[in-house]
Amino acid sequence: MDFAISIIEQGLIYGILALGVYITYKILDFPDLTVDGSFPLGAAVTAALLKSGVNPYLTLPVAFLAGAAAGLCTGLIHVKCKVRDLLSGIIMMTALYTVNLMVAGTNNVPLFSKETIFKNEFLSGIFSGGISKYSNLMIILLIVLISKFALDGYLKTKSGYLLRAVGDNENLVTSLAKNKGNVKILGLSIANGLVALSGCISCQQQGVFEISSGTGAIVVGLASVIVGTSLYKMLKKISFIKVTTFVFLGAILYKACTGIAILYFPPQAMKMISALFLLGVLILILVVDKKEKRGKSHA
Amino acid sequence: MKKKVFVMILGAILTTGLFTGCKGENKESKESVYHIGISQFAEHGSLDNCREGFLEGLKEEGIEEGKNLEIDLDNANSDTATAAQISDKFVSDKVDLICAIATPSAQAAYNSAANTEIPVVYTAVTNPEEAELAGEDKTPVGRVTGTSDQLPVEAQLKMIREMLPDAKTIGILYTTSEANSVHSIKEYEKYAKEYGFTLETAGVTNTSEVSLAAAGLLEKVDCLTNLTDNTVVSVLPTILEQANKKGIPVFGSEIEQVKLGCLAAEGLDYINLGKETGKMAAKILKGEAKAEEMPYELLEGSSLYINEKAAENLKIELPEELKNRAEEVFTEIEG
Repeated sequence: MDFAISIIEQGLIYGILALGVYITYKILDFPDLTVDGSFPLGAAVTAALLKSGVNPYLTLPVAFLAGAAAGLCTGLIHVKCKVRDLLSGIIMMTALYTVNLMVAGTNNVPLFSKETIFKNEFLSGIFSGGISKYSNLMIILLIVLISKFALDGYLKTKSGYLLRAVGDNENLVTSLAKNKGNVKILGLSIANGLVALSGCISCQQQGVFEISSGTGAIVVGLASVIVGTSLYKMLKKISFIKVTTFVFLGAILYKACTGIAILYFPPQAMKMISALFLLGVLILILVVDKKEKRGKSHA
Repeated sequence: MKKKVFVMILGAILTTGLFTGCKGENKESKESVYHIGISQFAEHGSLDNCREGFLEGLKEEGIEEGKNLEIDLDNANSDTATAAQISDKFVSDKVDLICAIATPSAQAAYNSAANTEIPVVYTAVTNPEEAELAGEDKTPVGRVTGTSDQLPVEAQLKMIREMLPDAKTIGILYTTSEANSVHSIKEYEKYAKEYGFTLETAGVTNTSEVSLAAAGLLEKVDCLTNLTDNTVVSVLPTILEQANKKGIPVFGSEIEQVKLGCLAAEGLDYINLGKETGKMAAKILKGEAKAEEMPYELLEGSSLYINEKAAENLKIELPEELKNRAEEVFTEIEG
């Protein structure tokens, strides 16, 4: 059962990353590769702060802001310099590699001896005995709930509606006398802020900052978003659960899939299992979709 | 309807829980069988050798797979998050010992096993102090110990000096994300001057950049020397080809690289390193020693490997004394 908890913990942490990817990929329709750089950026900022003895809880907002700044740059490159979306993400991702090395000082910073959001005097006072096993999960869950409801709330504000409009119909935003470029930049900032927040929590949970931790982060994020939103589409009619929740579910399922690969398959098979899982989910949704449509045309 | 969905999702989560949970419960608690989880960071020649050596070391101490040893081997495919998942699994399986190969896996294993009784034995960690796996004086920081694969940098520099008395500049290619390499570069910086060399380094982030970086570096140096850098070593043939065209010798850091055509190496034998680690693990399993009391170990000395064919191609006269000292002299270039 401990392993299941660890899967859910990691799933929730990467779910925050997926939430960011959801904003860019699904809402803004912007394939943002900054993620591979902003995830370790959050971790690098966290490592640097913890090393200098800052209160660990302060790392959360600071990492978010650092990520937001990275997203802002991607947005500016895209909107102001008129660089294509994919390319502006690649430019930032590449630049962030150096930034991350500089911020953290080196490529691998262990945080075992530092106080973190999971391990400090304040917490050991609250959690003791049997429930201490679940303390990590509870802390992660708390941050997850806060970020999810904050995002849900934000998407309902005027600015949030504009954000959604940019992805669907850019002209509508222009016709409302709003600058669509600025809206995109805002969206990218929020998204990468969330990604960096995820990196911040991840490195504190694993007790180490590692520069390579961002490699492939976008893949995990995209897979989680696609699985999550597909499930949402499938169950939309019969559920009241928001799509943002499904994104987290997607991340947990993706991590569970790696978990199952670790448990039951030879080490070489891991990537194949992940690939097959993703393909399987997409086919399943295709089948359900078709059935539904057929049902409709008959009716 | 809403309830139905809830039940479905809950069901899905619980089944994953069941799947993952059942393995731990199936474990039989036979006293005589040791259960070891090996967490290897990447598929890589040296790391594979470590693993083989580890099992050999255990065997020499009477702990053998199929008899009284159960091995659970997992590979993180160079992904730190996966490394964490692997060690979490070992902890929830309640293995008797975790063997972690390479720094990120060692850190993940140490983190996962922090609040348990499970000892962690690592190998191929270049600098346990910097990785916070050991304190000063090599003392462990917890139930964790192992072996370091620190390169014999001084021996290597001395050997290069003997072979190339006139060389002035040494070039090193390395990956900026590999902790082992970054540490070794610092070591080279420390000792290069003593042997009359200036150091030129070029950092890369992935294999596709190596070729260009090598070309740039070869403009400035009299010879190249390799670290145990995973990225650089994996495209070693490209580097060798470029260097050979310019007649610049390339030195290796371990036996496999010399086989591939590096001129020579004062290197580690990773099988031996693994064996040392296996013996330490055996002591812990048998209860003869405690991980938290064992300082990490370094392999004593280094072994010299020479490739005569490479020397011939470069028209370099090999000093007899070096040839006699060599552990192994290769007369062919593999591949």
